[in-house]
Amino acid sequence: MSDTLLEVENLRTVFHTEKETIRAVDGVSFDVERGETVGLVGESGSGKSVTARSVLGLVDEPGVIEEGSIEFCGDELVGGNWDEHRGDIAIVFQDPMNSLNPVYTVGNQIKEALRIHQGLRGQAATDAAIELLEDVGIPDAARRVTEYPHQFSGGMRQRAVIAIALACDPDLLVCDEPTTALDVTIQAQILELLDELQREEDLGVLFITHDMGVIEETTDRVNVMYAGEFVESAPVDELFDDPKHPYTKGLLASIPGRTAGDERLPTIEGEVPTSTSEPSECRFAPRCPHAFDACESVHPERIAVGDPDADHETACLLYDDEFEESPPEDGVVADGGETA
Amino acid sequence: MSRARYLAKRLLMAIPVVWLGTSMTWYIIFMGPIDPATRLLSEGQVRNPAAYEAAQTQLGLNQPPLQHYVDWLSSLIVFDLGRTWLLYQGSSVNALIMDFLPRTLWLGFWSVLIAIFVGVPLGFYAGMRSNTVSDYVASMGGIVWRAMPNFWLGIMLLAVLGSSQAIFGVSWETLGPNLTSGISGNPDLSYLAGNPLAFFTNIDATLEAIKKVAPAAIVLGSASMGNEMRIGRTAVLEVKNQDYVELAKVKGVSDRALVYKHILRNALVPLVPIITSEAFLLIGGSVLVESVFGINGIGYLFFQAAIQGDLPLVGTLMYVFILMIVGINLIQDVLYTLIDPRVGLEGE
Ligand code: SF4
Repeated sequence: MSDTLLEVENLRTVFHTEKETIRAVDGVSFDVERGETVGLVGESGSGKSVTARSVLGLVDEPGVIEEGSIEFCGDELVGGNWDEHRGDIAIVFQDPMNSLNPVYTVGNQIKEALRIHQGLRGQAATDAAIELLEDVGIPDAARRVTEYPHQFSGGMRQRAVIAIALACDPDLLVCDEPTTALDVTIQAQILELLDELQREEDLGVLFITHDMGVIEETTDRVNVMYAGEFVESAPVDELFDDPKHPYTKGLLASIPGRTAGDERLPTIEGEVPTSTSEPSECRFAPRCPHAFDACESVHPERIAVGDPDADHETACLLYDDEFEESPPEDGVVADGGETA
Repeated sequence: MSRARYLAKRLLMAIPVVWLGTSMTWYIIFMGPIDPATRLLSEGQVRNPAAYEAAQTQLGLNQPPLQHYVDWLSSLIVFDLGRTWLLYQGSSVNALIMDFLPRTLWLGFWSVLIAIFVGVPLGFYAGMRSNTVSDYVASMGGIVWRAMPNFWLGIMLLAVLGSSQAIFGVSWETLGPNLTSGISGNPDLSYLAGNPLAFFTNIDATLEAIKKVAPAAIVLGSASMGNEMRIGRTAVLEVKNQDYVELAKVKGVSDRALVYKHILRNALVPLVPIITSEAFLLIGGSVLVESVFGINGIGYLFFQAAIQGDLPLVGTLMYVFILMIVGINLIQDVLYTLIDPRVGLEGE
């Protein structure tokens, strides 16, 4: 049997509003294997969180998964089969202030998961909960287990959320901007913890962030998301060494420290558009420094680029042989100067 | 431990509130534009200096105001409430209040309870099924119900129940516990005197007393019911989409446990002040509803004392109302600490 945990095929999640239908996720495909960390990166509004929520079966009215399939360990989830796999996919949300129920103790919330997934009750559950809190690096766990979320600091809460996730004994962990709301030092600790746990438990991880720096540190494979689509997918090293899509290049250029000399980091002007219909153009065109005529009338398909062994794909007409325009010289980004 | 400290703090803070409210009452009644002594005397007696003097002395108004204030306040504190002047002339105020207060409490208790047990579940139900037909029906019903004025609703209800035999073919009086004394009037609470446990042991009498105040309680609680429904609906809608509810769902918590454990308890938090502030309204509302339904409660007593000019009794009743309101506030604090662990722990 293959080690593929999650197989997402051509997923389209839309939101029906009174005025229009918003295509938040528009035809994305990716796999997550056991022990692998797959990154999803993009600006806010690009559809990363909706992708995560789709995988978890948390898309509610007025949203609906309109097309595509999400297979977990070979079982199709779309159509409401999440209940059978509850606990197999765990989540760490962005805001630890909101992820814990304020009126129950942290221990209670861990034990709830232990009871459902490991059948533990009473003292055995309490002991297991204390052990989990210790595993995620919470000191004085025996006392902490009886405390309420508001008695925990932000970083500690995120650790507690991770403990809850582990209590479910999951195969796949979805991390939706797990460190964005935290201080930089705490961020590093949480990332380290996640990395450690992943290796110990051989988890598949779907890691969502807008932070290219975090992507570089944590993931094995990266999908760059823009306006509901994956515009570039590649192994992390390949993507950082040889980015192809102008959007990816822009994202990379805006990481502090990567652009030499410049005091000001180059930014990508404008914001992510809301997709409401079948695309007939490149959705990045209005912001793309290399856009040419065809970009307005042809929707770019994903094509293989870069190292032929690396499984590197991008959706940009510059790499399409049908068009004469060719990619700019390597390293040139926007009008922002050379990358290091 | 620190919850107990929080409650103790709230209790201490209630003392200045009672003092301030009572002092203002004293000032308005005894230092205000209306001379309490003249109000107690008939036209002829006012012109008789001896009678006027006697009234002044009895009220203690010939002493220096400070002396009178201290005397008045201390007699209230020890519940030495004296005798009435005009209303039920000469009867002990303590006895009068003990006679009238239970009926109001009985009425208030059931109107709060009915409002909670109908309004809150209906609101939660509407919130869980937001934007469905059942939500619209429940929400609309709540708004219409809330908009009906108390006095009108009271009269209509009495009219309908009074001719229930003709309208529904079943008489309200004989449906369930028999109401021998008519559909309105005082609930018979005498069976509880000196033996509060009779509430549970003498079920027949309890049911009869409940049935007697039920229409009045429904009317009195109608506005609260509508409010609680609306707030309950909003609270559920808000909590339903919190991360911690979704986290619990991902964790595999069943839909049922999700609602009862994770959503409802959090949704109750914003409802507590609504419910307790509704309870304040009941004190005012009871004046009206008690009149319509002919219940001799403390609201009715206050109303009579006020229009007949028994100002000392008005002052004493004000004191009772102040104590009730402060008491309700303390109950609210207790409820808070029970529902929400964050209360009283700030700054730790
Ligand atoms: S297709 Fe055109 S507009 Fe889109 S990224 Fe490529 S060059 Fe830019």
